[in-house]
Amino acid sequence: MASVAPAAGPARGLAWARQDPALSATVLVLWLLLGLFVVFPLAMLTARVFWDGGHFSVAGIGAILTDRHQVQAFWNSLLLATLVGLLGTLVGFVFAFTVARGGLPRWVVTAIDGAVLLPLISPPFTTAIAMVFSFGPRGLITYELLGLKGVTVYGMTSTLFSEALTYFPIAYLALRPILAAIDSNIEGMAMSLGASRMRVFRTVTLPLCIPGLANSFLLLFAASLADFATPLILAGNAFPVLPTQAFLQITGMFDLRGGAVLSLVLLVPAVAVFVLQRYWVSQRFYVTVTGKGAGQQPFESVAPWVRWALVGACLAVTIVIVYLYALLLYASLVMAFGANHAFTLRHYGVIFTEGLKAIKDTLLIAGFSMPLGGLYGVLLGYLVVRKVFPGRRTMEVVSMVNYALPGTIVGIAYLIAFNDPPVELAGTALVIVACYVFRYGPTGIRTTIALLQQIDRSLEEASQSLGAASGTTFRRVTLPLILPAFFAGLGVVFIRSMTAISATIFLVSISWTLITVKILENMTELSLGPAAAFSVLVIVIVFVVIGAISWGLRFFRAPGSEPVTSLLGG
Amino acid sequence: MEAVGVRVEGVSKRYSHKVKGEVYAARDVTLDVRPGEFVTMLGPSGCGKTTTLRIIAGFETPDAGRVVIGGRDVTHDLANQRNIGFVFQNYALFPHLSIGENVAYGLRVRNVAAAEIERRVREVLALVGLAGYEHQFSNQLSGGEQQRVALARAIVIRPQVLLFDEPLSNLDAKLRVAMRQEIRDLQRRLAITTVYVTHDQEEAMAVSDRIAVMNQGSIVQEGSADDLYYRPASAFVAQFIGRVNLLPARVEAASGGGGEVTVLGHRLAVAALPAAARAGDTVRLVLRPEAIAVRPAQDAGTLPQGTVAGRMFLGEKVEYLVRCGEMALQVVSYDARPGDLLAEGAPVGVDFKGPDIPVLPEERP
Repeated sequence: MASVAPAAGPARGLAWARQDPALSATVLVLWLLLGLFVVFPLAMLTARVFWDGGHFSVAGIGAILTDRHQVQAFWNSLLLATLVGLLGTLVGFVFAFTVARGGLPRWVVTAIDGAVLLPLISPPFTTAIAMVFSFGPRGLITYELLGLKGVTVYGMTSTLFSEALTYFPIAYLALRPILAAIDSNIEGMAMSLGASRMRVFRTVTLPLCIPGLANSFLLLFAASLADFATPLILAGNAFPVLPTQAFLQITGMFDLRGGAVLSLVLLVPAVAVFVLQRYWVSQRFYVTVTGKGAGQQPFESVAPWVRWALVGACLAVTIVIVYLYALLLYASLVMAFGANHAFTLRHYGVIFTEGLKAIKDTLLIAGFSMPLGGLYGVLLGYLVVRKVFPGRRTMEVVSMVNYALPGTIVGIAYLIAFNDPPVELAGTALVIVACYVFRYGPTGIRTTIALLQQIDRSLEEASQSLGAASGTTFRRVTLPLILPAFFAGLGVVFIRSMTAISATIFLVSISWTLITVKILENMTELSLGPAAAFSVLVIVIVFVVIGAISWGLRFFRAPGSEPVTSLLGG
Repeated sequence: MEAVGVRVEGVSKRYSHKVKGEVYAARDVTLDVRPGEFVTMLGPSGCGKTTTLRIIAGFETPDAGRVVIGGRDVTHDLANQRNIGFVFQNYALFPHLSIGENVAYGLRVRNVAAAEIERRVREVLALVGLAGYEHQFSNQLSGGEQQRVALARAIVIRPQVLLFDEPLSNLDAKLRVAMRQEIRDLQRRLAITTVYVTHDQEEAMAVSDRIAVMNQGSIVQEGSADDLYYRPASAFVAQFIGRVNLLPARVEAASGGGGEVTVLGHRLAVAALPAAARAGDTVRLVLRPEAIAVRPAQDAGTLPQGTVAGRMFLGEKVEYLVRCGEMALQVVSYDARPGDLLAEGAPVGVDFKGPDIPVLPEERP
């Protein structure tokens, strides 16, 4: 990847700061914020683990590593993440391949995209709740349909199924552009050399997708590893995993140190995945498009019966998704799911009275986080790509840390860091907003960097050569080009602020609470109706906001330019 | 392997265009390629040449018509059942396979024994001048080398038909000239029936036995390079193959195919008139720049008078732009001696090197 910004000469020293005071002030402020909300909490977390009574100690780690239950949780987490990675990647690949090669009509592709979007924008445990409705002790299928009594939905299988269903869209979104980018001439070539369609797939298409498949596996592995809510609802006692153990350690046993240790153990596979992805997989993508060929009509690379099988498989998965969400809606509209199926709006009444505070708080916090996170993403992305200042690369890496870490770690780190002086923020809305901005703002950074790297410097130079001052150039050329990144950043921060739970469950208080936390509480108290109603409400709000942002994006996209990355970001 | 013929019969392919609606990419295309022959489909972009080629290859299915290779109707066969070699403009090398494995691909598909594969890969890479490149990868090769690999990969399977889709367009000018010679030599040596697509008329003339000029989805004229150059059937072909001055002329007399015309007020004998031409009709003369001579005004006599409006000295030739009334004529002069160069603004007489000047009927738009 070519670096777009010119390298700073080592001899220039602090000249940059004197030359551009506004830049140096901005950089300084950003560093202070990153220090406070990224570096400091992690340092405090590490200190809590390794610092005991004033000196270094590994006793905390030792205690966990010798506790059979916790070791089991560690292996369970890895096993679950591996299986979710494999299953989710497989399903995602089937979807991506069907859309890219199936020659489906446009509306079918749109329908698939819509169904796939559902799990992505819902709170991460929505499918888990719907699973309980469907397969639980009073589930629609287990109890109503099959008449089974005493079934237990809780365990690894249902957790795996639910997580795979929730996260496979990530694989789909990652694999689809890769399949679309494979020059159809390459497959055509293999075919003209005599290979059957199956052989072309096996020897050309699939090998070219391997970096993408590996990447997708790692993304899902990380997502599952970090997922806290699904196992909390579905895994049950027989299948403990690390994030839930860390949570229970803190909320159940008030053992902050134990929770910190567990979350730090979670860090090991998370960092391994991050490193693999960044330094191994990303360098193995093949570039197959050169010159003429990309625009060629893809020939019929899939046999008719295979196409029908693929479409059938996608349809089946789509139906399951739609079924689960319909079930959720239904459960929110009946007196007591599984017992009394009379229609009622009671649960909505409950959430808009007892739950109104959570709704208000969530909207307020999301409303504040959204513009701050969007601005933060564009600003930092722009500075890192286009400006020269010391520590540019480091700033980019540090800004990604909270985004890359599992939410449980970030949440516990914030809890430890901001619970006591010198920075006592616990219980305030500010700590939640900060958590969202620095955890989800980085999507905006990534999008901005990606956009700016596609925009050759010569565009800005052309503007200057035509007589525009640097201010005008920024306003007339650069800004319109990075606006889509700003909007994408807004979208992601808002969606996540509405749906996230893994980090912020540690940060809510009596004064500030969140819808997602309420949903979890309702689930554990078995008030399923309000839980379902809350979930439906979140989905509706997110849909409305996404719609508004997409509508807004339309005005800021140059005609003919590539659609910006999905609202859900990288 | 015995060379086979390729016959494209009445092939049509439609697609729907967002703005233009239903468009014919290929319209009733019929083309006969004899065994061992090198035929080029030549035309501007969007003329249907690539579509026709892809239909021959089996990458696209025609809406109407059929494709026959070696007497067998292959219209509904997949590309892998046709025994063809295809060379793409962008090479389409497998990026995940080494050069050796790229070339071996078709042989592996055919279950050729390992030792035989190794031998044939080595042989064909030597043939295209890339001996020893087996373990390189495509991203380590230059454009020209990649194109040679693509060629090697296509011929190593000993296809019945070799198909080229603008194979040289991504190469620089010098390499293009060298590679087209190599492709021609190789095709002669292997005697493989070949269909080649290009928009570059010079390239087409250099490599082909026969050229089919295409425009708007149809073949408008077929023939050898000199046929098309000296006897274009339409203004399109005349303008597409080489440079040309199309001069309106009036038929004065028509007799036995030939006759006399008046052009720029000057009477001229021509050997062949359009069949339907009668005295008084307007026709158009196809005057190549080298078929016009300019003479200094003092030697011009009764020749049409003009003025040198532009001059480009290119070493072995001099190009003039000569203004004759409303017309601007392109003229090339090859045998100029240092003293003979005409200055811009100089009055000249224009001479036509008849009588075998092609004459086209007036085209109604």
